[in-house]
Amino acid sequence: MNPDMPVIECRNITHYYGNRLIYENLSFEVQPGKILGLLGKNGTGKTTVINILNGYLKPRSGVCRLFGEEMDRLSPATKGRVGLLLEGHVQHAYFNVRQIERYYSRFFPRWNAGAYFGLIDRLKIAPSQKISTMSCGQRSQVALGLLFAQDPDLLILDDFSMGLDPGYRRLFVEYLREYAAEGGKTVFLTSHIIQDMERLIDDCMILDYGRILLHEPTSRILDRFGRFTFASNAEDFPANPVLWNTARVGSRWETYSFASPEEVREALAANGAEILALNRETLSLEDAFIGLTGKY
Amino acid sequence: MYRSIIYKEWIKTRTATGFIVLAFAAAAIHSFMKIAEDLRLSGAAACWELVIQKDPAMFPLFEYLPAIAGVLAALAQYVPELQSKRLKLTLHLPLKEDAILLAMSAYGTAVVTLVTAFFGAVLLWGLSANFPAEIAGASFRRLLPGFMAGPSAYFLASWICLEPRWSRRVLNFIPGALALSLFFMRAKSGAFCPLVPWLGGFMAAAFFFVFQSTARFKDGVQ
Repeated sequence: MNPDMPVIECRNITHYYGNRLIYENLSFEVQPGKILGLLGKNGTGKTTVINILNGYLKPRSGVCRLFGEEMDRLSPATKGRVGLLLEGHVQHAYFNVRQIERYYSRFFPRWNAGAYFGLIDRLKIAPSQKISTMSCGQRSQVALGLLFAQDPDLLILDDFSMGLDPGYRRLFVEYLREYAAEGGKTVFLTSHIIQDMERLIDDCMILDYGRILLHEPTSRILDRFGRFTFASNAEDFPANPVLWNTARVGSRWETYSFASPEEVREALAANGAEILALNRETLSLEDAFIGLTGKY
Repeated sequence: MYRSIIYKEWIKTRTATGFIVLAFAAAAIHSFMKIAEDLRLSGAAACWELVIQKDPAMFPLFEYLPAIAGVLAALAQYVPELQSKRLKLTLHLPLKEDAILLAMSAYGTAVVTLVTAFFGAVLLWGLSANFPAEIAGASFRRLLPGFMAGPSAYFLASWICLEPRWSRRVLNFIPGALALSLFFMRAKSGAFCPLVPWLGGFMAAAFFFVFQSTARFKDGVQ
């Protein structure tokens, strides 16, 4: 494979559920060694992207490629390079802890049983315990342990933090970060807990209904995207490409922008409104997400 | 890798397989006890005459048992795959998808066929020990459609089970049930023999139905 070739490439994906448009001409790519976080409100199609990527959903039009191979014709070798975590940490729950390791180990030549049992040891559960009898959090740790043991070149994780307690979430984020950095792995993930993503992802892609709202390096969002609060006598502010989600909050106004305070002031005052006590705050990724997508 | 797939199928189906074996064994014991009782009470000559004159079904339980076993095996194998769409994990394994499905289907077919064949042999042995070869042969041939219904029911139940849309499952069930009913038509011993090759042809064709359901699953039909 050409080292410059994107690990994930989607071109002009258009998909509908019935008559409801999910995306139109969605295009993006993920370069080798990057950790990309896919964010979006409920129902914006994050899991749908993952299903399309892995060939489990045929879009109305467009194509996705993993390691250069089209999604509906992935070779066994390419599937072996992709570690897939399904939403809800779905696994074969009729196995017990030891059986499922035995089952998967024969499929992957780089299988690292130590990585799996290392994570399992922290659970303090018997190797003979059936997965179906475990708590949601324990099941998720089994699923994640299996993925690390597989040692894939690309990890696709759908809502990886679901069901994990805060300590294990932190542990997993650190583990994943180290795993990706050391092995030059590529990671494509979604999560509802955005504060975990902040310390993990290199690039952030935010989905809105039907389109990509933003696809930027996380550092750029954290450095340049800010919340501006101000007082004004204006009744309303017309839409402006520089400003995001301008709204009155109590007696003051707030807006979000990548622009400098001077540019924001200029944009706000464009219709003659008086702008007083303009103040810029830096944001966490979660605040930035809300600033970009709105609260509702 | 295929050993791993067989291992997974075994873990899923071992309880159901045990139940199937027990049901066949219980049915065989019950049938032989009934025959032994008739032979003891009426005598061999009267029994043979009755069989020749009236042509009763000597193993009525075995007409339906293989089909029930086929449905049970398919449910044990594929319901867990459909729960939470675990089939995605199975199809994501580094093997060709058709090969994975073929291995799973071959496992289920082997379970149903081997159990049926084993107990078929037991029945033939028991018949041969108590009846002349002509009667034993005719009674055994009468069971053939029922035995063939086992794998056929397995293929049809797999086809219905893996279909991702409920409305289509119902739609698949109707022709499936009608086709399966051909294996249970009442007739004199041997009357079914000309139909056996056709039933065999249908059984062979039904093996491939499951690939259609899986293709629809892969396309994300909901």
